[in-house]
This record gives sequence, structure tokens and C-alpha cells, in this order.
Amino acid sequence: MSDNTSAISVKNLWQVFGPNPEKIVGSPDASLPRAELREKTGNTAAVRDVSFDVAPGEVFVVMGLSGSGKSTLVRCLTRLIEPTAGSVVMHGEDVLKATDARLRELRRTQFSMVFQNFGLLPHRKVIDNIAFALEVNGVSKEKRHARANEVIELVGLQGFAQAYPEQLSGGMQQRVGLARALAVDPEVLFLDEPFSALDPLIRRDMQTEVMRLHKELGKTMVFITHDLAEALKVGNRIAIMRDGAVVQMGTAEELIAHPADDYVADFTRDVPKSHVLTVRTIARPLAANETATDRTIQAGTIIRDATAAVLEANGPVAVLDGTNLVGYIKSRDILQVVGGGS
Amino acid sequence: MTVRSEPALVAAPKKIRRSWLLAILFLVWIVLARVTKGKATLELPVPENTKFTTWAGDVADSIRGNRTDGAAFKYFFNPIREFIDGFVTIIREFIAIPTGNSSIPVLGWLGVIAVIGFIVYAISYIRMAIAAVLLIFACGALGLWTDSMDTLAMTLAAVILSLAIGIPVGIWAGLSDRALKAVTPILDLAQILPTLVYLAPLALFFLIGPASATIATMVYSIPIAVRLTAFGIRGVPVSPVEAGTSMGTTTRQLLRKVQLPMASRTIILGINQTVMAALSFVVIAALIGAPGLGKPVVEALIIRNVGEGFVAGLAVVLIAIMLDRSTSAAIQKEKSFVPPSDADRKRRKFGLIIGGILTIVSIVLSRQLAWAAYFPEQINVSDKVAHAADSFIVWVTENLEFLTAGLSKVVTVGVLNPLESVLSNSPWFLTVTMITLISLILGGIRSAFITVVLLLAIVASGLWFDTMITFTQTIVATLLTMAVGVVLGVWIGRSARAERMLRPILDAGQTLPAFVYLIPMLGFFGPSRFTAIATGIVYSIPIVVKIVGQGIREVPTTMIEAATSAGSTKWQLITKVQLPAAKKSLLLATNQGLIFVLAVVVIGGFVGAGGLGYLVILGGSKPQLQGKGLVAGFSILLLGVMIDRIAQYTVARNSAPKH
Repeated sequence: MSDNTSAISVKNLWQVFGPNPEKIVGSPDASLPRAELREKTGNTAAVRDVSFDVAPGEVFVVMGLSGSGKSTLVRCLTRLIEPTAGSVVMHGEDVLKATDARLRELRRTQFSMVFQNFGLLPHRKVIDNIAFALEVNGVSKEKRHARANEVIELVGLQGFAQAYPEQLSGGMQQRVGLARALAVDPEVLFLDEPFSALDPLIRRDMQTEVMRLHKELGKTMVFITHDLAEALKVGNRIAIMRDGAVVQMGTAEELIAHPADDYVADFTRDVPKSHVLTVRTIARPLAANETATDRTIQAGTIIRDATAAVLEANGPVAVLDGTNLVGYIKSRDILQVVGGGS
Repeated sequence: MTVRSEPALVAAPKKIRRSWLLAILFLVWIVLARVTKGKATLELPVPENTKFTTWAGDVADSIRGNRTDGAAFKYFFNPIREFIDGFVTIIREFIAIPTGNSSIPVLGWLGVIAVIGFIVYAISYIRMAIAAVLLIFACGALGLWTDSMDTLAMTLAAVILSLAIGIPVGIWAGLSDRALKAVTPILDLAQILPTLVYLAPLALFFLIGPASATIATMVYSIPIAVRLTAFGIRGVPVSPVEAGTSMGTTTRQLLRKVQLPMASRTIILGINQTVMAALSFVVIAALIGAPGLGKPVVEALIIRNVGEGFVAGLAVVLIAIMLDRSTSAAIQKEKSFVPPSDADRKRRKFGLIIGGILTIVSIVLSRQLAWAAYFPEQINVSDKVAHAADSFIVWVTENLEFLTAGLSKVVTVGVLNPLESVLSNSPWFLTVTMITLISLILGGIRSAFITVVLLLAIVASGLWFDTMITFTQTIVATLLTMAVGVVLGVWIGRSARAERMLRPILDAGQTLPAFVYLIPMLGFFGPSRFTAIATGIVYSIPIVVKIVGQGIREVPTTMIEAATSAGSTKWQLITKVQLPAAKKSLLLATNQGLIFVLAVVVIGGFVGAGGLGYLVILGGSKPQLQGKGLVAGFSILLLGVMIDRIAQYTVARNSAPKH
């Protein structure tokens, strides 16, 4: 992917805290493990040499444990924290080179952010929270309230426009956070662990809600989470971070089928493979003593969804990519995956 | 048994050694002090000057001589004084002193009461407004209407000016780390500066009168406004600020639309504290010509008229309650960001309109009719109150002698005199060495270094003996404060009911000006060193109890549950778990106690406590001793800094992570 077709293109991004951050980037010290770097130079590298591209309309998930640098990364993309080095190009413009005024302009129109702790203003009504970005951009009250009411409909907050944040439940508050981010009709939405503070059931509702909004509006999203299940549910592609660096990047299937190292493997161990892998990954040639049935299945089908069809068949089922034969699977292959064998 | 005792022997050898060292040191000190008693004490008779204090007096004179022609005065001090004088006069003319061609202020008493009631209603509730009106009316009934109005006007003027400076600086320190770093040392110094210290120097530059009283009050209250405003801005949660920034706010928009509204409660709390600080200082600023209730208080203290002093002090207390309760109610009202319902708002609007009309009618009446202009003289209970106070004091001192004279005697003979003979009646070099060694053991080498420098500076000032008198009283008062404070603190830390019971008393005790406490103490204990000590104790107990209680309450529940399940008794739980775990709070409480006590003990110079405070007060009234008074003030400052440094280093040492 090149800069022209990407919604966001991040190249060699660094964020180093400490006494002399500029000196670290590009020096041999940069490749030291985090703890050694701090010991030696007093600097902490929160984000190390991160590069990735996000396609327009994609949901790109950055996942990692606490302290892995994912929250710092997303703050670097919006310059809530100034990165030490690198470039962040959105629609052909390097955000890191923008002047303060231009940056404000971008924040008011091009991208917006949803926060873990919602970040709502307790002294303002829901509608004025949602209209805040428009307000600071000088949009008239009539216009910004009209727009805010549209987004209120969109996220299902009808009837709460005049309420104050503290009168709402956590889930509803984050709906306000979502609505606020959508109010400016941004090109890109950054979501920093948006549902981590919510109860599991509400979290699931909100994930579904975000997926619905994504389908309806087609926004490019960068979604930060520490929860793999969430990452798998909402993400097209996932980047796994550790100690400030991206360890592996790819689709859910790639990560689970081919973990780059033990860390990633550890992460994905508890994920039911049959829920993520496609039948392509287990398709194999026909053995000598087997005869194929006349049944076929598409290679992109998730194993879980293929189970019923394959178990019903009396022998190997052909796996097709379009019309090309990829291989065959039969009930035993599926049971091996579902049963957790490796 | 032998096997078991081994770990105990190994545990904490360092701690044992430190307390042993201190004990040995004290023993050596007592013996040496006895042997060398009365030698090289540097005692200086009150009417005598040293070369240094004479020089300080000459400097003061030359500054005074420069007042009309000196450039610094012409272009700096005098314009400031004139501006503030003008500002204070405008406010006083509204409620306290006659305006130009009239014989009454702009508002007669009825008008003042109506305006106060209306303002309090507007910022809080109707009940509070009625209470405020009654409290102010009571001041008039005590025969002190004009003085009360003057105190109110002086407080108001100082508060307006303090906030005008303090809030912007506080916002700046809230937003910028560099600004915070720049103002923090000044704020810290202001916190340990005893009030009596800077009255005389300010009067030197700004003359005696309302202007320098206001400036002195501002010096005292601005740091409080700065501190709480900065604290409020910094206390705003990160995510709304980040959210605001991420939506493209300018710095100004962020401040106005996010940070200030969210910090509003803390800022109002800052206003409350600024008001209370200003009030308590305006009373003591009577010493440099502040009009108002401070005057009768000072006069009563000087002629030892407890009854009249009590009346004036009571008026101060009534005003303090009025100001504190109404500003606190305003904070209560700000508790929720959700505004009241439409029906409530309508009712309130109606109330405000009615109140406004009544207020305007009262103002008009108070400008037209004599009965509404001059507070009615028939309503005057001051003699009755003074008499009641006097007879109560007489009754207590006669019937509860063991509590008044007895307590005074026990402390004076048992603690005060022995300590005084060690500290001030032994050679100065012995005392300097010993205090430095104690500072070394408690706070380490840096603490010892600062201590020895400050002590030698005090010796050089020539007022060593008097400083040690004041120091002795400070230590004794602090020891007693801690004894009572820790008991009460543990009690409120352990029992929510005790907390609920004591909290209002502690809050009230904290808002009253220290000066006011002197009056009843003078009645109970007569003019003596113990009166200063007792006042210091009463004044500083609330803060000590609060800090200790907080520390005890913050001991983790799991720690207490673990100890309880191991079978600890209540006493073991307190002494072996809660107090050790709250050690840092105990040290902090001691530090605060020392600073508070010092500030009050020096004021005790008024009631026969002697020491530096007496010299400061004397310097204000006797021109030939003015230099000595200034140096005494400076010595108080050095003493305060020394106490604070030792305490701070001890705290730091005890809270450092162990390796």
C-alpha cells in the first residue's frame, strides 16, 4: 500500500521519554530492550519504530497489554503527545509537520477520538458535549445543535439530549463519547480502549454498535484494545504491540495460524481456532484411500460455520477458492481443530 | 524461648540505635546544662540594644526619612499605597465610614443587612441568608456595628485584591509546570511565616494605616488563593482535557470551557479559605492601623480587660461563622453539575425578585430615615455579655482552680521551667551544638547543616536568649498539642461517629483567628507564659487532629484485617499497626503543629509570654526599640524556617523507600 491509497500511513514512529530523547532514535541504543535502555540512558522508549498503513474504511486494531505503548501510540497519531521522530501521513498530509493552527483545524474536521474514561464534560448537557467540537470551531448554535441531534439519533441517544453525563450509565456515556466523535463527520476515528471501563454485557452491545456504525458510515477506524476477543470481533487487521514495538501485524487468521513468536502465540492460545480460522488453513490434498464427495465449500468460510456441512457429508469436501480447487477437508479435520489439537 | 527471641534481636537495629542516641544526647545535655547554668546565655535586658539592633533601627529611620523623596517611594511604594488606600476607602464608605458630605456611609445598617442577606441568598440558600442576617445583627447588638462593618470592609477589600492577583497566578501555576516551580518556594515560605513577622516591615514601607494592613493581609491570603486555584486546575481529570484538545480547542477555549468549569468547586473552596485567612489577618492587622474589631481586641488584651475583649472577640467569631458558612454553602450548592429542575429555578427566580425588591427598599430607607441608618442604640447587650464573660471566668478560676491555676502550674514547673533552663539558661554554644546534633540524628547531614547556619544567624542577631524563650514555649505547646491531638486523631480515625461529632468543632476551630483565642485564655490563666502555650495548643489542635485522623483512616483495611485475624487486641492494633503505619502523617502533623504553635506563641507576647513576640510588639510602640523589634521579627522567621526544615527532612527520611 502506498501513501496515496492509505487513509493513514505511519512510518518509523518513535516516542521516547527522558532527558535526551532525540539522541536515542537512530543510535545503536535504540535496539536495546526497554529496561536496558532506561538503565543505560535514563530514557524510556514508549513507541519504537512503528510503521503501518490503514486502508480507507478499514478497522485497524492495535492490541497489547498495559504498558505496551498502544495508548501512547494513538496519542502520537493525534499529537496529544508529540512523537520524537517519524511521520504520520493522513490523506497526503504529514500530521507531525502541521502548525498548531493547522493541527487544530485537522482535529476539528478530519479526525476525532473516543476515550477509555469517556472524557465527557460534566458541566455540559449531552447535546452540548456532542456539539463541542463544532462549538470550538465557531459553528452557530442552531447549526451545531441540528447536527448534534442527527448524531444523537445515529447512536441511539434519543431523549437524552438535555441530560447531564452524570445522569447516564457508563454505556450511555460512551454513546455520548461516540456521538461526539462522529459529530464533525471525521475521516478517521481513533478509539482508545473505548469499552474497557464497561461491564462485559454492555461492552458486547457497544462492540456490536461500533460495527453497525462502521457498516453504515464506513469510517476508517484505529481501535486500541487489550482484549483479543474484542480485537478479533471488530478488526480487519490487528497489530500486536509489546514494549513499544509492533511484534506482528496481520488478519486474525494470520496471527492465529502463524504466530510470529511465543508472545503472540501465548496471546492467541485461548482463542477457539475454529472461530477464527478459515477452512483454507486446514485444506489438504486427497489421501490415496479417499474418494471425494460432490460437496464443495468456499475457502474463506470460518471453520465453525463450515462444521455442519462437513459433518453431514460422508467423506472429504472440496475447498474452493472461487472455482479453483484448494484442497479437501473432512469431518476429522474439523474435529481436530474444534477439539483443540494442534 | 531462646530460639524465638533471636529474630527480635536482629530486627531494626538502626531504629533502636537512633532513639538510644537521642536519649543519651538528652542526658548529656541536661548534665552539661546544669553544670554550666547561667553562663554565656547572651541574655539582653529588654530596654537595651546591641550594635546590630541599633543599626537596624537606623536603617528603619533612614527608610522612613526617604518616604517623600526617595525614588523607590515616589514611583513604587507610594503609588501602590495610594491605590490601595483609595480602593479600601471606597469599600469602607459603602458600609463603614461616612461618605463625603453625608454623616453616614452609602448604606445604613438596614441596607447593609439587606444586601448581605440578598448576596448570601443568591450564592446559597434562604436558611443561610436568614442566619447571616441574624449574625450580623448580633454584631450590632454587641455595640460594635461600625467596627464590625470596618472589619467586613477591610476583609472584602483584601479578598477582592487577593483574588484579583491570586486566581490568575493560580491558573498560570495550574497550567505551566515552570510557573508552578517558580511560585512553590514562595508559597511554602508564606505558609510557615508567622503573621506577626511582616507587620512591622510592611508598615515601614507603606505607613501605618488601612493600606499597609490590607497589603499585609494580601501577603497572607494570596498564597492560599494561588495554591487552591492551581490545585483545582491540576485536579481536573486527564481525559476531558485530552478530549477537549483532541477536538481542536485553543488553549483559551480549553481553559474557559473545560478546565475552569471543572475546577470551579476547588476554586470556590479557595475563595472560602482566602476569605477566612483575610478575616483572621485583618483582626491582627489592627497592630498596624487596620480599623475594625481588631482594635478593641488589642486594647482589651493590653489592659487585660477580659470582658470587653470577649465582646469584641465574639463579634469576630460571629462574622467568621457568617463568612465561612455562607461560602461553604456556596460550595455545597456547586456539588452537582446538574442544575436544578425548571420548577426549582422558577421558584428561585421569584425569590430573587422579591429579595431584590426588599433589598432596594431597605437601601432607600437606610439612606432616608435615621432609625434605618444608625444602628439602634437601645439594642445593646455588650455590657451584659461582658459581665457574663467576666463572671464565668471568675467562677471557673475560683471553682475549677485545679484546671486553671493547677494546670498552668504543673506545666510551668514540670515542663516549661526545666526545658527553659536547658535551652536558654545554658551557654549558647552548648545549645547550638545540641540542637544541631538532634537535627543530625533526626534529619541527616543536610538538616544539620541548615540548622547550624540558622542558629548561628540567630546568635549573630543578638537576640539568642529571647529566641530560646520562644523556642521553649513552642516545643512545650507542640508536645502537649501532639499528646492531645494524637489521642483525638486516633479516635476520629477509628470511629466514624467520633469523626461526625468532632468534625464541625474542628472546622469551626480552624476558621477562627488566633488572636481571638487569647482572650478567654488570658481570663483563665492570667498574663503568663502558659497563656501563650494554652492558646497555641487550642489553635493548633484542630489541624493536628485532622491530619492524624486522616493518616489513621488511610491505613489499608487489609493490614488491619490481617492483624485482627492474628488476634491483636484493640490496643495492640493501635500501637503496633495503625500508629506505625501512619507515621508519615504523625510527622506531618508535628510539623504543622510546630508552625501553627509558633505563630500563636509569638502573639502571646501580648499576654506576658515574653520572648521574641514581646520584642516585636514593643518595637512597634517604642521608637528607640524599633530596630530590636525588626530583628526579633526576623529571628522568628529564622526559627520558623529551622523548625520547618528539620521537620521536612525528618519526614523525607522516614518516607524514603528502604533498600
